[in-house]
Order: sequence, then C-alpha cells, then structure tokens
Amino acid sequence: MSADDDRAREQLIDLAARFYDQFEQGEVPSMSIPTRTKSNIEYDEEADVWVYGDRESTRSANSVRGAQKLLKAVYTIDFLADQLEQDRSSTLRELYYLSESWDNDNAQFNDQDESNQLVEDLEIVSEVTREDFHMRPEESGAKVMGPLRIREQTNRGAREIHCQDDVGQGGYQIPNNPDTIEFLECDAEFVLCVETGGMRDRLVENGFDEEFGALTVHLGGQPARATRRLTKRLHDELDLPVTVFTDGDPWSYRIFGSVAYGSIKSAHLSEYLATPQAQFIGIQPADIVEYDLPTDPLSDSDVNALESELEDPRFQTDYWEEQIELQLEIDKKAEQQALAARGLDFVTETYLPERLDEMGVL
Amino acid sequence: MTSLQSTLGDDPGIAEELADNQRAISIAEFFEKNKHMLGFDSGARGLVTAVKEAVDNALDAAEESGILPDIYVEIEEAGDYYRLIVEDNGPGLTADSLPKVFGKLLYGSRFHVREQSRGQQGIGISAAVLYSQLTSGKPAKITSRTQGGETAKYFELIIDTDENEPEISVSEETTWDRPHGTRIELEMEANMRARSQLHDYIKHTAVVNPHARIELREPNAHFKSERATDQLPEETEEIRPHPHGVELGTVIKMLGSTDSHSVSGFLQGEFTRVGKKTADSVVDAFRDRHYGREMAWTPPGARGGVSEVDVASAVVEATANKGADATDAFAEGVADSLRKRERVAHHQLSEIVEDAAEEIGEEFGTTFGETVRERATEAAWRTVVGAGDGSEDDAGDESRTADDLYRIADDATSSRKDDAVIRAFADRLAGTFREGSHRLTRDELEDRVGRAAELTEEYDDVSFGETARENVVESVWSVMETVPDDPPLVRELAGSRDAASDLVEAMRETDIMAPPTRCLSPISSELIQAGLEKEYDADFYAAATRDAGVAGGDPFIVEAGIAYGGEIEAEGSAEVMRFANRVPLVYQRGACATTDVVKGIGWRNYGLDQPGGSGMPNGPAVIMVHVASTNVPFTSESKDAVANVPEIEDEIELAIREAARDLKSYLNKRRSMQKRRKKQSVLGEILPEMAEKVAEVTGNDEPEIDDAIARIMNNVLVERRTEANGDGQRVRVAIENHSGTNESIELTDIVTAEPTEVSDGASVVEMDGEWFVRWETDVPSDGEAVLEYRTGDDAAFDLDVKGVETEKLTVNQ
Repeated sequence: MSADDDRAREQLIDLAARFYDQFEQGEVPSMSIPTRTKSNIEYDEEADVWVYGDRESTRSANSVRGAQKLLKAVYTIDFLADQLEQDRSSTLRELYYLSESWDNDNAQFNDQDESNQLVEDLEIVSEVTREDFHMRPEESGAKVMGPLRIREQTNRGAREIHCQDDVGQGGYQIPNNPDTIEFLECDAEFVLCVETGGMRDRLVENGFDEEFGALTVHLGGQPARATRRLTKRLHDELDLPVTVFTDGDPWSYRIFGSVAYGSIKSAHLSEYLATPQAQFIGIQPADIVEYDLPTDPLSDSDVNALESELEDPRFQTDYWEEQIELQLEIDKKAEQQALAARGLDFVTETYLPERLDEMGVL
Repeated sequence: MTSLQSTLGDDPGIAEELADNQRAISIAEFFEKNKHMLGFDSGARGLVTAVKEAVDNALDAAEESGILPDIYVEIEEAGDYYRLIVEDNGPGLTADSLPKVFGKLLYGSRFHVREQSRGQQGIGISAAVLYSQLTSGKPAKITSRTQGGETAKYFELIIDTDENEPEISVSEETTWDRPHGTRIELEMEANMRARSQLHDYIKHTAVVNPHARIELREPNAHFKSERATDQLPEETEEIRPHPHGVELGTVIKMLGSTDSHSVSGFLQGEFTRVGKKTADSVVDAFRDRHYGREMAWTPPGARGGVSEVDVASAVVEATANKGADATDAFAEGVADSLRKRERVAHHQLSEIVEDAAEEIGEEFGTTFGETVRERATEAAWRTVVGAGDGSEDDAGDESRTADDLYRIADDATSSRKDDAVIRAFADRLAGTFREGSHRLTRDELEDRVGRAAELTEEYDDVSFGETARENVVESVWSVMETVPDDPPLVRELAGSRDAASDLVEAMRETDIMAPPTRCLSPISSELIQAGLEKEYDADFYAAATRDAGVAGGDPFIVEAGIAYGGEIEAEGSAEVMRFANRVPLVYQRGACATTDVVKGIGWRNYGLDQPGGSGMPNGPAVIMVHVASTNVPFTSESKDAVANVPEIEDEIELAIREAARDLKSYLNKRRSMQKRRKKQSVLGEILPEMAEKVAEVTGNDEPEIDDAIARIMNNVLVERRTEANGDGQRVRVAIENHSGTNESIELTDIVTAEPTEVSDGASVVEMDGEWFVRWETDVPSDGEAVLEYRTGDDAAFDLDVKGVETEKLTVNQ
C-alpha cells in the first residue's frame, strides 16, 4: 500500500471515528457537506477557479432518510478501506452492484446516482479524491493526438508513447488516473479541446495537428475528470495555451465552463481539475452571424439553459453575457459540423486559423 | 245552474239529513283510525313505539321524584302475540290517577307546562294501551306500588274509544317485590323485524341517560346497561311563555283568562322576560300598528329661519274675547314653543296649546276654554301644514309640506336622482296628506308613497324603484310620532281578533331578552362523554354543550358528542344518534334536521373520510346530537325527526363542530404518534446497524446509542445507573427531556431492598417487601432531572414512567 493509499485510508477511518464519537457523546450522528448548487459556488481569486461557498447541508441521522444515508456511508467507507488495503480498484458502477452483496438491506443503494453522490460526498468530507479511493468512472477517458511523448505507469509496467507516431487514427487513450503520466517531450504549440468525435476526426484527417502543432484532445461531451486533469497538467506543466472548440449552443458552453472554471458537482476539486486560462474558440453566436452558418432555432429548453447561464456566476463576464444575449436575440444555434457548409477544408484552412489568430494563440 | 238551485230548494230535508249523520269524534276513535300518526303503523314498528313510550314514561316518572331510574323491559312471545312488560322504580301511581294515565288519551301533566320533558301530549303510553287492545283484544295489566304502600294495586283496563275513558275490568290488591314503581304488561300483534331499531333505542337511551340502569330481555337477546353516574338530571322549572313564541289563538285565549286589565299588566303578568320597559315598548309598537303614527311637520320658524307664516297672528285671529294682552301672550307662547321644536305632530301641538292656555290663563286670570283651545290648535296646525285659513285671500302655502317631504325624500334616495323628480314626487306625496289624514299606519304610508311614486314614474317618465320607495317610507316613518292614545283594555282586545293580531305582531317585532334556560336540563358534556364511554368501547370521546338559543320563543340547547375508534365499526358510514329531550329518535333519519346538518359538514377538515366531500362521513365514529327544548319542533306527531328550524340547525352545527375540533386534534396527534412510531422503529433498526459497522471500521467496541436515539426522537430518556458504594449501591435515575415541550413526569421505581438517602421530592412507600420510590417532577425542554438513592447491593428494580406518551419515552434500566 502506497503512502497515498495509506493517507486515504486513514482519512476514511477518521470519518467513521467521527460518527463513533458522536454516538458515544449521545449526539446525533451527522456530517456536513457544502451545498452543491450553483448558488453556492464562489470565485477563489487566489486559485482563479470556482469553489464551493459557505453554505452547507447536513446529512443527519435525525430523519429516516438521513440515517439511511449515513448507514450507507459507513458501509461504503468500510468497503473503500478494504479496497485500499488490498490495493484493488473498482468502478462507480461496480460499487453500486456490490452494495447488493452487503448483509444489510438498509445499506444497499437504490440507484447509481445515489452511490455516485455518496462517493462525491466522501471525497469532499475526507478531502481525498475518488481516484485515490481507487474508484474509477465507467466512461473511458478521451483521446489525445499531437506531438507529445509521454511515459505512462500501467499495471503492466511503464510504457513510452508518442502521441502522434505511436498511435493509430484514434490517438492516445487517457488513463483514468492521468497523474500516472509523465511528460517526456513536447513539440506542440497549443492544446485544442474538441467537443465532437466527428470534428476531431476531421482535424486529424486534414492533418491540422501536424500543420499547426496542435495537441487535439477529444472531450466527447461533458469531459471526464481524467480529461480535465490532463488538460490542466498540459497547461500547467508544459505551459501550453488551452483552447476549446465546441458546438454553438448552451450545453456546449457548459462543457467549456467545466474545462475552464470547474463543474458545480466537483467544485471541491476545481483547483485540481480546472484550467482557468482556457479560451473559447467557438462556435460563437457571433460566428453564426459572421459566417452565415446553417442553424437550428433555439428550443424552449435551450432558451431556459441560456437564461440560467446568465445567472451562473461562472458565466458572469462581459464576453459571455454579450455572446449569450446575442444568441437569445438571433434565436439560433449551430453545430461544429455546420462549418462544412463552406467546404470540408473550411474549418482547418479558414475558420480555426482565423479564430486562433484573433485569440493570439497562433 | 238554476236547476240545481231549484232542486235544492225543493227538498229542504237534505241538509237536516246530512246534519243528522254528523257527530263529534272522540280522540281515541280518531287515533284508532290514524295509528300511523303516533308511530304504530306496523307490527314491527308498533312494538318499538310501545317500548319507547313506556320507557320514556318510566324515566320521567322516576326522575320527577328524584329517583335514579331502574328500568326493566321484557318482550316475550305469547302465542300469536307478543307480550311487552315494562317495569320502573318510579313513585308509583295512586288508584285514582292510574287508570287515567294509562287509559285516557291526552291526559297528562305536562302539556300545559313550558318545561323540558320527554313526553308532552299525554298520548304516548295510552296510545300503546290502545294499540295493544286493538290488535290483541286484551286489556292492559298494570301493577303499581306507591312509596311506603303496604301492598300494590293491580288493574286490568281497556280504553272506551267512544268516550276516551278507561274501562276497568279488574281492580285488586296484590303484592309486588319492588318497594315502589309501576309495571305495565301489554299484549299486541307485533313482530321482531325491527329488532335492531329496538336495540338501538335501548342503547341510545342508555347513552343519554347515564344516570339510569336499563335492562332489556327479548327472545333473542338480553342486555343490561349499568348507570355511569349517580347524578340525576337537574330539575327543570316551568316558565311562562315568551312573547316571541306564542301564536294569535293562544294570545286570544290568554287575553280571555287573564286577571289583568291593562295590556301592559297582561304582558308583564303572563309572559316571561317582560318588565315595565319591555311592556311599554310592546305597547308603543302596538299603537303604531293599531292606531298608526301622526306625521310630524317642521313648524314655521323652526330651523332658525324667519317665520314665513305668522303662527302668532293666526292664533290671535282664532282667539276671541280674551283681552288683547292675554290673547297676544297666549299666541306668542304657542308660537314660541313651536319655534323651539324640530318637528311637531298634531297631538303635540294640542299639548303645546294646552300648556300655553294653562300658563297664560293663570297669569292673566282668565280661562282659555275648550273651544278656544281647539280653535287655536286648528289655526296653528293650518299654519304648520300650510293650509291657509280657508278664506279666499289666504290659500295657505302648500309648498310647506312639500318642501318638508322633499328634504326627507332627497336624503333618503340616491343622489343620482334628478332634483326635479324628487321635487315632483314630494309634491304628490304632500298632496296625499292634504287630502287625507295625518295619522296613518305604516301600511297606509307605504300605500301613499307607492301611489306618489307610480304617478311620478308615469308623468315624469323616470323610474322610482322599490328601494327608493322603501327608503322614503322608512325615513318618513321615522319622523312620524307614536300617538298618545291609550291602548284598548284587555277585555276589548280579547274580543277583537284584529287588535289582538296587532298585539301579537307588536310582541314579535319588539326586542325581548331570550327566555331563561332553567326550564331546560341539558345532559352536560361530561355526562354525554360518560354515556358514550359506557356504551361504546372507543379510543376517543368528545362532547360539547352549547349555550341556550331561542327558536319561536322556546329556549333550546344543543349538545353533541363524538366517539371514535376502538371497537366501533370501521366499515361504512359513521353512526348518527339523534335525541330530543333525552329521547332517542329511531325512525325517519333522513327527514331529520340533525342528519342534514351532519351531512352538510365538511368532515375531511376534521380528519374523517367523507366520499365526495359531503354526506355522511365514513369510519369508526359515532356522532350524537341532543336537542333539548321546551318545545322541540318535530316534523310529525310520531316525533321521529327534528324539523329544519334554522336557529336549531345552526346550533346543531356549532355543537358538532365544537366536538369535532377535539376529534381533529386527537386524530392529528394520533397521526403524528404513528409517524413517530414508524420513525422510531426504522431508526431503531438502522442506528444499531450503523453503530455496529462504525465499531467494526474503527476497531472499537460498539458505542452506546440510546442517548442519540432519544435525542433524535425528541424523546424523554429515563436512564438508571447504579454503582457499588460501600456495602450497598448508589442508584441514579436521570430524566433527560429532549422534546420541544416541558414534560411532567411521574416516576415509580419499585425496589426490592429498602432505599435510603432518597433525594428531595421523592417519597417511599413499602408494600409487601417492595419499596415504591415515587417521584413527580417537571422537566423543561432540553432539561435534565435526577433522582438518587442508596439501596442494598442485591436489590432488583422495576421502573414505571407515566405522564409521557409511550411513543415519546425511552426507558433504559
């Protein structure tokens, strides 16, 4: 068991000991966790990221629901401590199924949201990340393609990989815990995070990474923690500018938000995951107008999402307010692929170079 | 037509012939043909009614003599008939009155009495006797023994229906084991199809008569209802009728038989709640109705204005031969008094003239005789009403009265009405006074205003609606003056239907204090509760007694009770028990005001299930309503249903709601206790599991969790700890109150060795080698209290805690 694992295990047992003491003192067992809503996140000027505010909600054995939650927490702590001791790992989904095998019906999870949430709770209270509990997410990490050589510590020993020369069309698969990667050599000029697989493939096919020294990172929708962690390390350790290229709709802005500012659900890890210096390429609502892109009208839920973003502290900047208001005004959204309306090479030959130039990246 | 006329005329014998066939019907005969009116319409029902009448009679008899009733009812099969026996422990009846009580219809002591009692008309028991003799042909067998009587008397009697008199066939001395009381035995055609109603009747009677012991034995059942209290119902007092509750016929009869001569005396002497002042108000109202009021006009010179007509000179002119000075002074006196008045009616003007005549006559040593006064009054009145003196050169000033009425009408009608219209209307109304009398009743006034309004509508083509007319009538009526005429004497009133009717109306419209309630004997909410507890094994009881109300001059009191849960049938709708003057109402449930009110209440608000939000509530509930009154308004002679009288319905509703509010808080509390029990049982499972796991993870012993549970449940935790101390042990019983309220706790620790050094406030009682350490204490919310004592080291303990709901209590010993 590594020193990190030891620390994680101790933190978990401390948590259980806290409940023990509460019982002994005749107090109602409880644990307090920051409220995870957008009204309770605030900007940490020092770290330049969004973190949880002071508002806390308490899980207390005062109610039947609260008591059940705490019981499940104790069982999960027991499981995680064992897992660390045996140096094994499991996925979030496995945890959910595993609870079925526990001897106590009351401790079993009702659905996976519940177990996921509990693991997040434990992360926050114990100040140990999920990865250090040896808990993996289900989704595979995203893929990287670009002029970068790394060394990854795998279960089967160290592997050195060049992310352009040693990989296939698909690129290099980011492991669940990117902290096992060591950067060896980097010729890249900047990091380009791409939302959709289709667009990533288009860039690779057009040789954009080779031509401009771009390290393309495929986000694949809402990016996994591993992807965000790696992006942050690329920026912090290799000093690469990070850019994000997504669809032009409210959901995509949130993807950018979680890369740049941290997500609401994991604001306790913002310092570890967010890259506040990340820049948004587009599709901007302004681009829709400027390039006269094919569009779809905004649906009701799009409008609601945009309005809710106007109230989201992470988006309360002049840039975003202007863009969102413009989008509400033109009442349109566009996908990345809409650029194909101007030819398959338009995105690599015209749009990206122009935008990157504007942004001072090229 | 003419042919018939002539035929009739030709045969003068027909009318006589018809008249020969007509004869008086005895009351007994009448009811023989109309049994249903008294509740004897079928064999099944007849039996129930007979039981009911006999039991009501028996209860009344015992109570009136201050005896706690002890009633035995037996029904047995007797060949083709059923035999009904009812025994009571009442005072017994004398040989003279007994046959009449049982053998004469409409014989009773209570019909003429305004006082709450079960029966009233004196029909009940004799009707049962009549029914029995009609159906079985057998006489009623009655045994009665009066208090202190050596022997009992035994009668067999039937009712002679032609004469409505008892016919005694057997009369003899006998012996009876009861020291006093009456026993009646009736045989009748009957069946037991109404068994459930019979049982209900007995059971319900027991509920409202918790002071009575009632036993029923019938072929299929035998049950006994013991008394729940030794408290007899409070004795009632007879009251005189209330002026609001008498009818014209009654008043005429009363007028005929009173000793009073004046109306005022009659009112004060014969009615309750009428003193001198109230009598005066009634007499005034009678005058207004009977004689009408006199219109009072604004006199000339009033309102501070300059006299447009000279009252004084008119009086001077009308006064002859009294010397110039005296005449002037007289005229000036009249004019002066008149100026001071806001308004004046003719009889008031007469008084003014009288006064002036007396005063000035004295001053000048002369006499203003009758004729002079009359002439002066007339002359002054003409100026008041602007009539002129009748001569050609003085046509008077007709606009005076019209102006006066215009001001009244203008104030009384909406400001939207055109001024000219009001003016025209006032002119027309004033016209009716010129043509007719200045003394008129309200009806006549309405008539005049109506006519003037019609004409105005017709000629001026505007609307002059009902409201406007009513307002004008009201305003004019209010300035009119009640006349000083003496009301007729009582004997004159007695002879005049119209005048008597005016008096009844006057009595009704006068505000009179509600009648006294000492004539009523409510059961009281405590005893209703006791009655319900006796007959229903429920979880919860509530009862309410309202203050007395008045309906039609008869005072009444409504009481309600509710029993809920326990053994009460939970399926189907709640049971409603209806009572009037302590008598259960068994039939015609649907026609009863009580049922209507129960159905109209939104029971969901009170925690009962009510499909559709109206109608009978469902669930394990019994709702009882008792209406006590000197005269309960029934829908029919069989007295099965209370009539829908709004005042009574309102009180029924309020009484039920009052009791239902208690039910609601009980149910709410029960629900919250249920929740608490559930929570406790779930937490009681989860928390030990959590404690076990926590101990496992941390590698400790299992933690103590009772304190935490008590705190979570906001419970009261009682915990005993002992520690060895010398050759004995110290005992510490701690009470921790984690609830949000202060708790009064009664704690008993039963110890098998003698406790010593018991802390203050606790007491120790020894019983059979066990010591009861008793301690009563109040523990504030979030507070703690400790009981300490020493005892032997081999002592065993048993802790009992009272004063806290078991759901809220955690005892740890």
